[in-house]
Formats: sequence, C-alpha cells, structure tokens
Amino acid sequence: KVPGDDVLGLEEEIKVTKKKLPIPKLNNELLFSDRGIPKLRKISKDRLKLKGKGHEYGDIARLLNMYQLWLDDLFPRAKFADGLLMIEKLGHTKNMQMMRKAWIDEGKPRDKSDPEDEV
Amino acid sequence: AQTTLDEWAKDPVDPEIRAHVYSLITALGGIGDDGTYSLGDDALLCLKDLRRWLKLADGQHNRRDVARCMAEANLVKGDLLEILAKMSDNLTNDIRKQKIAVATLELLVPLTWPYEIDPVEATVNHHRHGPYVQLAQIGYKRSILHYDRAKILRTAIQTALPSMAVPVRERSPRDEGIIRIALYFIRNIVMLSPPKSIPMDIDDAEVARSAVIDCLQEQDIFQVLLSVASSIGDDFVSQDVVVLEILFFLLKGIDAEKLFMQEKKLSSKNTAELKELIQKEKAMLAGHARHAPTRHNRFGTMIWLKQDEDRVSTISGQDVLGKAQKTIQKMDSTKKWNKPKHTGRKRDADSSSEEFDLPVALTSSARKSIKTFVEEFLDSSFNPLFQHLRKAIDRENERVEMRHPRQYFYLVSWFLRAECARRRTMKEKAADSKGREPLAAEDESYGLVAEVMNQETFILLNRFMQKSEDEKAWQDLNAAMKCFTQILLTVHEMSESALDEDQEIAENIQNRIFYEETTHDRIVHTLRSYKDQGFGYLDAVTELAHVFLRMLERYSKQNVDMQVRSKRRSRKIKKKKQAQAEGQDNGEEEHVSETEDLEAMHRAVSERKFDFARFAAKFINQSSVNTFVAFTRYYNELSTEQLKRAHRFFYRVAFKMDIADLLYRVDIIHLFNKMIKGPEGLDPQSPSFKEWEEFVRHFFRAVVKKLQERPELAVEMLFSKIPATIFYLEHGYDKELPTRT
Repeated sequence: KVPGDDVLGLEEEIKVTKKKLPIPKLNNELLFSDRGIPKLRKISKDRLKLKGKGHEYGDIARLLNMYQLWLDDLFPRAKFADGLLMIEKLGHTKNMQMMRKAWIDEGKPRDKSDPEDEV
Repeated sequence: AQTTLDEWAKDPVDPEIRAHVYSLITALGGIGDDGTYSLGDDALLCLKDLRRWLKLADGQHNRRDVARCMAEANLVKGDLLEILAKMSDNLTNDIRKQKIAVATLELLVPLTWPYEIDPVEATVNHHRHGPYVQLAQIGYKRSILHYDRAKILRTAIQTALPSMAVPVRERSPRDEGIIRIALYFIRNIVMLSPPKSIPMDIDDAEVARSAVIDCLQEQDIFQVLLSVASSIGDDFVSQDVVVLEILFFLLKGIDAEKLFMQEKKLSSKNTAELKELIQKEKAMLAGHARHAPTRHNRFGTMIWLKQDEDRVSTISGQDVLGKAQKTIQKMDSTKKWNKPKHTGRKRDADSSSEEFDLPVALTSSARKSIKTFVEEFLDSSFNPLFQHLRKAIDRENERVEMRHPRQYFYLVSWFLRAECARRRTMKEKAADSKGREPLAAEDESYGLVAEVMNQETFILLNRFMQKSEDEKAWQDLNAAMKCFTQILLTVHEMSESALDEDQEIAENIQNRIFYEETTHDRIVHTLRSYKDQGFGYLDAVTELAHVFLRMLERYSKQNVDMQVRSKRRSRKIKKKKQAQAEGQDNGEEEHVSETEDLEAMHRAVSERKFDFARFAAKFINQSSVNTFVAFTRYYNELSTEQLKRAHRFFYRVAFKMDIADLLYRVDIIHLFNKMIKGPEGLDPQSPSFKEWEEFVRHFFRAVVKKLQERPELAVEMLFSKIPATIFYLEHGYDKELPTRT
C-alpha cells in the first residue's frame, strides 16, 4: 500500500467503544442540589398538612408518602427503605453535618438572646 | 452388564491404595459356615494394618483416599459392626475378644471423626472426597444407632470398663487411651450431623437428636456419663473435656424450659403454639386476601399517579385502584434494584457444627429420657464436673481447646435455665397438691448449681467476655452473654426464694456483679457495637442488656447507697502522678499536690456512689437504638417475650428518658408504621399487638407535635442526630454553655 493513500482515513476501521453510562449515585452532591434537601424543605413547609391530635396514623402516612415521593423523584433506583439507609449514612459525612447545622440555624429565631430574655 | 457412572469416570482414588485397602478388608473376614460373620485368620493384624493405612497413608500424604476407600467398601457396616457384635457377649472376661474390640474401636473412631476441612492444610484431595465421606459418616451413624444384633455403643463402653476399673494412679497410658477412645466414639456419634450443603438420601429422623437420645437411653450410656461426670477429679481427670463435648452436642438447641414442663401443660402449650401458628397464618392470608385482585390476572388495569409539576407515574394492576396508600406501596415494591448488602465475612465451616441457636425438636420418649438424665446430672454431677472444668480452663490446660470455653459457658447457661425451670415446676406441683408434699429443704436451696455462682466463675466469665469481644470471636461472646444473662436470672429467682439464706446469698452475688463498673461498661459497649453478627447474637445481646438494666434498676432502688468501683478515677490519679513527676522541680506546688494526691487516693479507695440515671443515660444512645431497631425488624419472627423486650426499650427511650429525638428518624417511623398498619404487619390478634399499638400511637403523636413545633425536623429526620442539635430540637434554644471568666 502506498503511504498517504488513506489520507481521509476511510479505509481504517473505526473502533466504536461503548461507554457505559455512569450510574447515578446517591451522594452529597445530589442531596445538596435543588431537587435534594432544599426541595424537601420547601415541600415539607408548603405541602405537608398535618392534622394533629387524633389523626396520628393518617399524619404519619402523609409524612411517609411525602418522603417516599421525594426520594423516588430524587433517586428512582432505590426502594424507599434502601434509600433511607443510604441517606442516613451520608448524614455522617462532615459536609452534610455542616449543612445540617446551617439549616437548623436558619430556622432559629434571629436574635439569639430573645427567648432567654423573655424567660 | 450395566455400566455405571463410577466405571466410566476416572477413579478419584489412587488404584494402588485401593488395591491394598480392599485386600485387607477382604482378609478381615466374611460370612462363615454357620451363616454368621466369622473372623479371618489374621483379623487382628488386618485391623491394625487398616488403622495404619488410615493414619499413615492419609496422614503422610495429606489425603483422604483411604477414608474414601473404606467408605466405598462398606467396611463399617459390613465388617466392623459385625465384629463388635460378635465380641459383645462375655467381652470383659475374654482377653482376645477385648483386644479385637479395642482394635475395631481404634478404627471406628477416626472413621467417624467429624470431617473438617482445614483451610491451611487442605489439598484438592480433601475437597474432592469431602462430600462423599461426610455422607458416608452419616451412614455410619445410622447403622451404629440402628444396629439390631448388638448394642454397639454399649459394647464400646464395655471395652473400656476394665480400664475404667483400674484406680486412676495405677492406670497405664494404654488404659487411658482405651477410655479416651470409647468416650470419643460416643462423642462422634452424638456430634455427627447431616451436612447442610449436600442432599442426603437417609431419613432425617433416623439420625436426628431424638434417635441418638433414645439409643443412649436404651444402651445405658447415660449411666456411664453420669458416673464419669460425678467422679470427675477422683477416678477421672482428663476426661472432663470429652464429657463436656458430649453434653454440648447432646443438649445444644434443646429448649430447657419445655423439658421441665409437666406433660399436660406441655401438650396444652404445644396446642397453644399450634393455634398461634394457625392464627398467624390466617392473619397473613387475610392480609393477602384484602389486597388480592378481584378479577383475573389479565384484566389489565393501568392507573396514573399524579405528582407535582404535572408529572405522572403509571402503575398497573387493579389491586391499587382507589387505594392511594396501596398505590404508593406498589410503586416502591416494583423497583428492581436492591441496595447491595454487605454480608460480612463468610462463616467458617467449623461454626456450623458448633451452632447452638437453632432449636431442636424432640419426640416425647426422647424428651422423657433426656429429662431424667438432666435431673440426675444436676443432682449428682453438675458441681464436680463444672468446677473441674472451670479450673482446667482457668489454668489453660493442654487438653482444653479453643472451642471448649465456649461450650462450657453455653452449657452453664443451659443447665442454669434447666434448674430454674425444674424448681418452678416443683413449686407449681407443691402448690397444686396444697402442701401435701412439703418441699424438702434441699430442694429449696440453690446448692446444686453453686459451683458456677461463685466469684471465680464470674472472674473467668468476665475475662472471657472481654477477650472474645477484643478478638471479635462473636460466637464465643454469644455463649458468654447467654451465660451471664442466665446467671442474672438465676440470682433474681434466688432473691425471691422463701429462704432467708438464699436471699442473703443472692444479695451478695448481686453486690459482687454490680460492683465492678467495667462490667456495666462492657454491657453497654457490646450493645452499642452490634453489627451483622446474625440473629442469635442479636437476640443474646438484647436479652442481656434488657435483663441487666432491669436488675440493676431494681437493685439500685433497693440499695440506695450502692457503690461501684470505677477504674476511670484511678487512671486520672495515675495521670496526675505523671504530671507531678514531670513538674517535680517546683517545690511549693509539690507539697500542695501531694495532699491533693492523698485526697484523690482516698477517693479511689472509697468507691463512687452509683447513679442509675447516669448509667441509663449512657445506656441509651443512637447506636443502642440502632441495635434494637435491627432486632425489631425481625418482628414477625419474634416471640411475645422478645417483642416485649424491644417494646420496653423503646418505651424507655421515648417516654421514660425523654430522648425521643433518637427515634425521630424516617426509617424507624417507617418500621413502626409497617408493624401496625401493614402490609405484613404484626398480627392484631397477637398478645403484644396492643401494647405496641399504644406505644406507636403515642410516639407518632409526639412526632407530629414536634414536627409542627419545629419544621427543621423535617430534614433532620433523615439522619441520626448530632448531640448538639438534639438539645435545640428538644427545647427550641441552644444549650447555654457555662461561660468561663
């Protein structure tokens, strides 16, 4: 064969390597994203209606459903119980703990000395 | 001629070995002129040769070919048992018979020795022959138990009788050897159990525990065991571990409580159990029926579940129509992916035969004979044997092997349980006959089991628990925990005895048990560090925690100024001393610190006052909650007693100690909800359902209330709480840290 005959590379066989699609992972990144915990905080405030005394089981069912649908949307792969275990485990990471603390602090009354003064 | 797979396949055994072994077996003997077995001319030499083959050929080349050959040649059933039968009458007086019988036993014992595959030494050969030999051994067991012409086990013991009759000081090594061989023969027969991994074409009942017990009873082996065990230390010394092993494999898995129930009560209990099971099944079927489709399976319903942002999920099947809750459950259950589970390290082969958490059922005749045996054993042999064994374990005697302490502690727990059950039945009997049979004074005291309730045993037990925990030997720890639980329960029963003396002793024992703070810490630590050790272990660890906490609570209430010896304090002093040694150049300070030190030393000697509230606080935390949650996940298989245990714990967490925050987690709520509301929940008819339902309702109310108060909890419920946030969630403001000025 003459060198330079196949300038365009037509003769060469093109190797097609199939790349495996990366499996989505349930990790901190996912939980911090908009669809993650921020969304949970939103829907728990806006949409969750608890009836209170006398409706314990109904309330809890609503609560669990909220979590389940949220989790299904976030990470459709896992069953509810599995997903919960995975998230619980993520709660032990440092980033997550810092974020959790921040979320709680947001909910605290602005002036910290206020409640104590009233007491 | 028929060709079999055997002929076609390559012979797995070295043909030369096969030829030698077969010719020896042929020379051993056969059917004689009178139709019975007749020995070959050099039978005794043949037996010895066979033994040499088994020992040397297999041992030297590290193979199992000879054992396999002997199994294929039907040596045990065809020859050895026949020979023993022939020797059995008038054995003790005939020296030649005696010799042949001993030689036969010497061959039988290694043949029936449980086949273990040593992970270090094993060659391909071991794995090749393993299944065949294991199956053959079960065959041996069956033919020995059901041999109809002579009592094989009895003959084995008879062979050893002349040696046993010799006083212990005058016994020759050969005598000792014969006794050992006879006892090991019994052990092997008791110990052999069908391998789990290989299908077997033998009826299970023929080699089950009941068959063994019936056989031992019929051939008077129990009497032998009793007389050996009761004279241990006098006439027998090194036999204690063999007896221990026989007892272990004989008793493991048998329910000691049921053993001592009166016949009538037992049958009613069994009926109740059957009723309970039927009821359980009914409830289960009803549960399924409620959700079953009402039309045929190709009816093809499909529904949409509307979600936010106008998205929909589709779910098929008519069973979900009109039931929102069911729809959501189905959505979940049809998911295919499962979280990969870490199954832990593979259990070694050894543990399957040592497994003691599997219950064993007995026939009524076997139950009766084992009950008699256990009663006689408790009356005559328990104290001497267990004291002797404790000493041997303590001194780390050569004959004591790794598995023996575990077996020892398991048996201690077993016998204590049996003794307590026996006393209870006796009391009931006495109450039934309205004092017509006054209890003998001896029946009232706990002297029969005193040998395992002394300080030495507690020390050994504590050390063993610590050691097995450090070495992660979970099965060992499991046995030790069972033992400790049973000791606590026995002491409890003792403290309720009618005799003042018993009460006093119980008080004393409790004092000693609860005195060491290290014990308290260890119990807490084992409870907290549970992780995938299997259900038997989980059951033991939760039971121990439950019993310990309850007894401690009671005891510390009765003895308000209870003292414990704490080690932490002394460590502090050591540190202080070190610091002092470093800063010795400072003269003035030294003087001051010396008085301080003296004061501190004084404190170390005078123990700390025990504070139950503080202990309970240490006891209940996230990891112990996790352990109990793992336990509760088995709710459908748990007994009423076990469910109660879990209930009490959660009740204590949520309402007594007021740290329900530990339970505010979605997975726990999910579990509780499932238990009560199903699907596959607790049976509403079951006795524990009501208290659980009540608890869960209360708990859910608390959850909802808290959630309304603090919306932040919605996120936090996904996770285990951080200690710092617990306080805020509880009270709504941060803990005020003591400010230092």
